[in-house]
Amino acid sequence: MKVSRTWLQRFFDTELPSAEEIADALTFHVFEIEEMEAHGDDSILDVKVLPDRAAYGLSHRGVAYELGAILNMPLKSDPLRSELPENSSTNELQVQIENPDKCLRYMGALVRGVKVAPSPAWLKEALEAVGQRSINNVVDATNFVMLNIGQPLHAFDANKLQKKDNRYSITIRGAYEGEKITTLSGDEYTLVEDTLVIADANADTAIGIAGVKGGKAAEIASETTDIILESANFDGTSVRRASQALKLWTDASLRFQNRPSSELAAYGMRDVVALIQEIAGGELIGVIDEYPAQGYTQNPTVQISLDDINKRLGSSYGIEDVTGVFNRLGFSYTQNGESFAITAPSERRDIVIPEDLSEEIGRILGYDQIPPTPLPPVAGMPEQARYRGIERIKDALIERGFTELSTQSFAKEGDVYLANPLDTTRPALRSSLADNMREALTRGVTVAPRVLGPATALKLFDLGMVFAKNGEHLSLSIGYMPLSGKKQSILEEAADALRDLVPSITFTASENVMEANLDEVDIVTLGADYTPAPVRLGAFRPYSIYPFALRDIAVWTPAGTEEFEVEESIVKEAGELLARIDLFDRFEKKDDNGDVTRISYAFRLVFESSERTLSDEDLNPIMERVSAALNARDGWEVR
Amino acid sequence: MRYSGLTMKDDGRLHPMTVAIREIANIFGRMGFGIAYGPELEDEWYNFSALNVPADHPARDMQDTFWIKDKNNHVLRTHTTSVTIRCLEQMAKEGIEHMRMIAPSKVFRNEATDMTHEAQFYQLDGFAVGKTGEVTLAHLKGTFDQFYREYLGENAKVRFRPSYFPFTEPSVEIDVWYEPKGKEGRWLEMSGAGMLHPNVLKNAGLDPEKYAGFAFGGGLERLIMVKHGVTDVRMFHSGDVRFVHSFEETSA
Repeated sequence: MKVSRTWLQRFFDTELPSAEEIADALTFHVFEIEEMEAHGDDSILDVKVLPDRAAYGLSHRGVAYELGAILNMPLKSDPLRSELPENSSTNELQVQIENPDKCLRYMGALVRGVKVAPSPAWLKEALEAVGQRSINNVVDATNFVMLNIGQPLHAFDANKLQKKDNRYSITIRGAYEGEKITTLSGDEYTLVEDTLVIADANADTAIGIAGVKGGKAAEIASETTDIILESANFDGTSVRRASQALKLWTDASLRFQNRPSSELAAYGMRDVVALIQEIAGGELIGVIDEYPAQGYTQNPTVQISLDDINKRLGSSYGIEDVTGVFNRLGFSYTQNGESFAITAPSERRDIVIPEDLSEEIGRILGYDQIPPTPLPPVAGMPEQARYRGIERIKDALIERGFTELSTQSFAKEGDVYLANPLDTTRPALRSSLADNMREALTRGVTVAPRVLGPATALKLFDLGMVFAKNGEHLSLSIGYMPLSGKKQSILEEAADALRDLVPSITFTASENVMEANLDEVDIVTLGADYTPAPVRLGAFRPYSIYPFALRDIAVWTPAGTEEFEVEESIVKEAGELLARIDLFDRFEKKDDNGDVTRISYAFRLVFESSERTLSDEDLNPIMERVSAALNARDGWEVR
Repeated sequence: MRYSGLTMKDDGRLHPMTVAIREIANIFGRMGFGIAYGPELEDEWYNFSALNVPADHPARDMQDTFWIKDKNNHVLRTHTTSVTIRCLEQMAKEGIEHMRMIAPSKVFRNEATDMTHEAQFYQLDGFAVGKTGEVTLAHLKGTFDQFYREYLGENAKVRFRPSYFPFTEPSVEIDVWYEPKGKEGRWLEMSGAGMLHPNVLKNAGLDPEKYAGFAFGGGLERLIMVKHGVTDVRMFHSGDVRFVHSFEETSA
């Protein structure tokens, strides 16, 4: 939620600290700040309010309340702690709730004689600062109060509703099958049966989707004079399902799905009526308050002791520390020695169990106060045998020159399919690792000179879960492709080596791949006394997404020349694009006495650019430079 | 590093994830943590409901989920916290009073992929549970303090920020201060954690009056990316042999 520092300042007499300090205070005590930006003289903080605190936190008042508690800076006036007016009722408006389990409270107010006009500058600026579009004074008033205290509100044009016996009649009911509604945005929606609607009962038509969005039919327009204001509380599940079914998420539905207090509706009504009268005039005819959930939604009294708190946090707080926090948060409590019975104010729907209170103490006093404490040692060895068994199999393959891969669990086809795949070309879960392995081998062959240099074989393994009709199991696949020379029985030898380790392992062979179900073997026993070989990795050296290029060079050198001398000479001239160099041939020329006269070294050079595909125009000059440099040395001759 | 020479060893390579998990298993092993496993295809109970994430709760939106076709209420696990609940059940069934486990395994999220997001990745989840008062939030801090100092270097330190997860109360984000050699240090968001919610213990059959403990979970690739300078998370499970060979390797 976008929060304006200027708006927050309305709640305090004393000047607030800088936006950065506010952001820090919120970050370390309550909310994450996703972004911060300047807006004229104002600063806008994008405050991430998570579901547990959304019932009160999705409002400037909620953020100000937190800031007041964190900075120990009392609010000059808290709209949720000030008195509610005694509203008079009216016969001109009737409200019926057909689903009291989904509509916990519905307040409707009739205001006559408003003058719809552009909003005053302060209101426009306040809304625009937090990314809202100003529409007109009446609609802006409902939005302002929602963003101020968190209560979603709506205004209907009363003259667009039918009147019967000199009375407007609003019903909150389930949608009819196939019932349609056009929302304020002009989009038409077909409603499903359990969606709750606000209906003009006299006309029997829906004028709003309860808790989600108002209908076009009763839109506030420039000619509007009489309005019906709605401040209600709809069940979170019902609103959430409606939003999901319609794929329509609004400021109102995001708030209702987090179950704000039904008490809040009265504060919202008080504030929106007052603001509309201030900026659009009009006379309040009366307020109807249907409140089926009255008394049911009170916050519980929670029992906790100082010891409970310290035992959970690992802290050593005293009584004054915790009562200080309760006071700053406006919790009412009774104290008996070191035990408390606490009731949170109505908007704090999140204080239900003692652990919730431990969190309040921990975060308000600051988690930096929690001392890092090592766990006490435990007797015996921790249970790691299965893991060690798996690693033993990996180490056996590493020893035989295999490289471990990790591949995607999603597959083109399989026994189990996803209901909502991300990649529609891979809608299934893999039922075997073999396809992934063959794909990896094919790709591996094309990059082998870059990766493996003169190695004669590509040997890979992959270990992971596969999904068959009767369940998932841990699978091992080993794959082999010859890079030069004849095909060898490398897979069979590796399988034999694993059979020596675990006789019961059973492989199935397919083209270039062998695969085994590791859940059929006793991995735990295999790992019982095994310690996986520790390995350290250095920094990652990125590889290019562009193809590499190969160049060979062979050179005669005088007897006694070492390989590294040649390599160094080449590397020095070849420059940045050289990614790899491997000796692939060496032979000596001898004279009649059998003494070495010359040595030939042949190197394979791998070139690569991180920016483009290399061409002859890049490589020929390099190779010419390399040849020239080698030829320039006494007794050296490029062949 | 360049290889040279006909005598080059026919060298196999472990995947960097395996290397990281070995190091992590070692460090946590010394703090008394075992290693636990569970299915990747989970039912709603172990992935959500037992973890105090009811149906129709906004908390479900915190993790985009892959659902299984024609198999009601089954998902690809969105976290390995599902393994935690299975371990807690085992504690209840077998009357075990203390347990410490990590579950470094694959999880799935239905989110668009980019350089820092993958639909499948590894998570390092774990927990320590004991009699009430034996395992506290301070122990969580101590455990991660030690873990990061051993894994990332002596300069590493942790800080907590308040957060929300349905399965922990209090809930925190763990940030780690990381100072790579010769570079400026910075705070990195690494893991979610907290004290296990009493409903989770209850759902597993443990008495929340008698038992308490912490739990944590965070992405493993990110940890490796930070430590070794990997730039794109999508390389990890691409099956590309180049990735595995892109690290200097020495035996420890």
